[in-house]
Amino acid sequence: MSTIRLRSPAAFWLALPAGLWMALAVVLPVLLIVWVSLWGGTSVSPNNPITFDNYQRFLSNQNYLWLIGDTLVQTAMIMAITGVLGYCIAYFLTVKVASPGWRVALFLAFVIPFWTSTLIRAIAFVPFLGVNGLLNQALMAIGLIERPIQAFLYSRLGISMAQVSLYTLLASGPVVYMLNSIPPALREAAMTLKAPPIIVFWRIILPLTLPGIVIGQVLVFLNVLADFITVTTVGGNKLAFLGNLILLFYEGSQIRATAVVSVLLMLLMLAGVTLALRVVDIRKIGG
Amino acid sequence: MTLADVPVIPQLDLELRHIRKRYGDFVAVNDVSLQVGKGQFICLLGPSGCGKTTTLRCVAGLEEPDAGDILIGGREVTGEPPWKRDIAMMFQDFALFPHMTVAKQVGFGLEMLKKPKAQIAARVAEVLKAFEIGHLAERRPAQLSGGQKQRVALARAMVTEPRILLLDEPIGALDYSLRETVMLELKTLQKRSGISFIWVTHDQNEAFSLGDHVVVMNHARIEQQGRPDEVLSRPRTAFVAGFIQGNNVLEGKAGLVRDGVLEVMTALGTFRVPLLDLAPPAAGSALSFSVRAERLIERPGEDVPNRIALRCITVEYFGAFRRHVLEGAGGTVVKYDQFGALPQSIREGENIVLGWSLDNGVLHRAPPA
Ligand SMILES: Nc1ncnc2c1ncn2[C@@H]1O[C@H](COP(=O)(O)OP(=O)(O)OP(=O)(O)O)[C@@H](O)[C@H]1O
Ligand SMILES: [Mg+2]
Repeated sequence: MSTIRLRSPAAFWLALPAGLWMALAVVLPVLLIVWVSLWGGTSVSPNNPITFDNYQRFLSNQNYLWLIGDTLVQTAMIMAITGVLGYCIAYFLTVKVASPGWRVALFLAFVIPFWTSTLIRAIAFVPFLGVNGLLNQALMAIGLIERPIQAFLYSRLGISMAQVSLYTLLASGPVVYMLNSIPPALREAAMTLKAPPIIVFWRIILPLTLPGIVIGQVLVFLNVLADFITVTTVGGNKLAFLGNLILLFYEGSQIRATAVVSVLLMLLMLAGVTLALRVVDIRKIGG
Repeated sequence: MTLADVPVIPQLDLELRHIRKRYGDFVAVNDVSLQVGKGQFICLLGPSGCGKTTTLRCVAGLEEPDAGDILIGGREVTGEPPWKRDIAMMFQDFALFPHMTVAKQVGFGLEMLKKPKAQIAARVAEVLKAFEIGHLAERRPAQLSGGQKQRVALARAMVTEPRILLLDEPIGALDYSLRETVMLELKTLQKRSGISFIWVTHDQNEAFSLGDHVVVMNHARIEQQGRPDEVLSRPRTAFVAGFIQGNNVLEGKAGLVRDGVLEVMTALGTFRVPLLDLAPPAAGSALSFSVRAERLIERPGEDVPNRIALRCITVEYFGAFRRHVLEGAGGTVVKYDQFGALPQSIREGENIVLGWSLDNGVLHRAPPA
C-alpha cells in the first residue's frame, strides 16, 4: 500500500477541497464579522472607517460586563456538573455493567434521545418543568412538595437542569471512548502491585481518561457558550447570556454590537480551547 | 477433605488444594492441587486453552475459584483480593502504565507499601541499575523496545520482593534470539532472590530447562507433575508422552504379568513393558506405553526383548540429531532419533528391525474409563 507523505503534491490536491470549503464557509464569514465589528460611523457601508470604538462602548457598560461574567459562571457550573455526572455514567456503563448486551442497551437508551435536534429537546423541557409539568406532578405525587414549584420553568434552575441533561452526553462520550481503550490488564497489574480499587482509579484510570474528560469539557464549554435556544425556551425572556445578547442586538438591527459580541464570544471559545490543548495534546489521543 | 485434616505446612510458599474454576458450563480449571516449596521455580506447561492462565489468575486473586483453597506462605487467602496477597505478576503483554515513566512505574509497588519517598528513590535506582535499565528511568513505555519493556515489567514486579512471582508467558513476546539470554538471566535471578516463580508457558524447552518442578496440564486438569527429568523420562499418561517431543506412544491391550513385567499386545506385535509402581491391569484392558525415540536400537541383538519390523519413510537431519520416521504393520508410525553425528545408517525405503531394552518402555496409567 502506498502512503501519502506530508507536503507531497498528492497531499496538497487531496486537502484542497476541504481547504476551500473551510475558507469559504468558516474563515471568510469570521473575517467579515471581525471587520463589521470594527466599523466606525453609523451607516452600513464598506467604506466605514476602522475603529475600536464599538468594543470600547460595549466593554465600558457595567451591565454587559456582568453578563459576560454571568455567562462564564453558568458555563463553568454546567461544565462541573456534566463533567462529574458524565464521568460517573461513562464509568458505570463501561466498567460496572459486565454483560455486553446490557451495556449496549443502556448506552443506546442514553444516546438515542440525543439524535433529535437541540431545539426540540430544549422545547421538550417546557412541559416537563412547567407549573403543571411532569416534574412538579411527580414530586407532589410522592409527597415531597405540596404546591407546585414555580421556579423550575423560566428560571436559572430550569435552564441549568435542561442544559445538564442536554450536554451530559457530550461530557461522557469521550470518557467512554477513553475508558474502553484502557486494557483490563493495566487495572489488574495495579491491583497485583498492591493498589486497592480507589488508588487504581486515582492513579491509573483517571489519568488515562483525562484527555477524554478535557475533550468532553471543551465540547460542553463550546455548546453552553453558544446555547441561546435553551435559554430562550426554558428561561423565557427573563434571562440572557452572551448568546442571547447576539440575537437581541441582531433583532434590534444593531449590526456593529452584534458583531462585537460575536467576536468576543469567539475569543472566549478560542481561549477555552487553547487552555484545554495545554492540558492534553489531542494529537496524542489514540496513539 | 476438610481444612482440619490437612496440616498447614508453613514452609510452603504456595499451596493449591483442589482448585476448580468454571465459566458458565465450561470448566477451565478442574481439581488442580499443587505444592510449591520455598524459592522454587515451577513451570506450568500445557497446550493452548488448558487452563494455565486461569490457574495463575486464581493464585493472583484476579479470578475467584468456585471450589478449593489457596494458601500463600501457609496463610489461607482464597477469598482475598489481589492487593492483599503476597504476590506479584508479570503479564504477557507486560501491562506497563502508559502515562508513567519507568522510574515511577517501578516505584509504584513501593509507593503502595507507603515507603518513604527517599527510600523509594534509592531502591528504584538500585533495581533499575541491577536490571541495566538505569538510563531509561525517565522514558515512557511507548519509547521502549520489546526487550526493554520486558525488563521494566520484571523490575516493577520484583521491586517489592514478593513471596511469589507469577509470570504468564513472560518471554513469549520477545524474539527468538533474545529468549535464550533472558531465560538464563531469569533463572539466575530467581535463584539469587529466593522468590518462587510460577512460570506459565506452552513451550516445553522453556519448561524443562527452567523448572525445578514441571506441571503438565491438559483439559483443565494436571496430567503429571514432578522434576523435569522425571516427567521427561517417565511420562505417566499417553497425553504427556505425546505432548513431550521425541516419544513413541504405542496403544494396545494388556496381557499376562510375569515378574513385574506386563505383556502388551499392539498392532506392531507383542511387547514386554515393566509395571514398576503400577497395579497390574486386568487382562484385555486398553492401555498405552511409550518409548523415547533415541532409546531405540538399530538391528538389535537376540537378547533385546522388544523388536519391531519397520520400513523407513523419511530421514531428516536436524544438526544435533537425525530423525527417522518409520512405518510398521497397520500404518503405525515410529520415530527413531540418532544422536552424535554418526553417518547415516538407514536409507529411505529400507526395511529394518528396531528394538529397545526392557527398562526403556514406560507404561502409562490406565486411561479413566
Ligand atoms: N473470562 C472467560 N470466560 C469464559 N471462558 C474463559 C474465560 N477465560 C478463559 N476462558 C476459557 O477457559 C479455558 C482456559 O483458558 P486459559 O486462558 O486458562 O488457557 P491457557 O492455558 O492460558 O491457554 P493459552 O496457552 O492459549 O494462553 C479456555 O478454553 C478459555 O476459552
Ligand atoms: Mg494463557
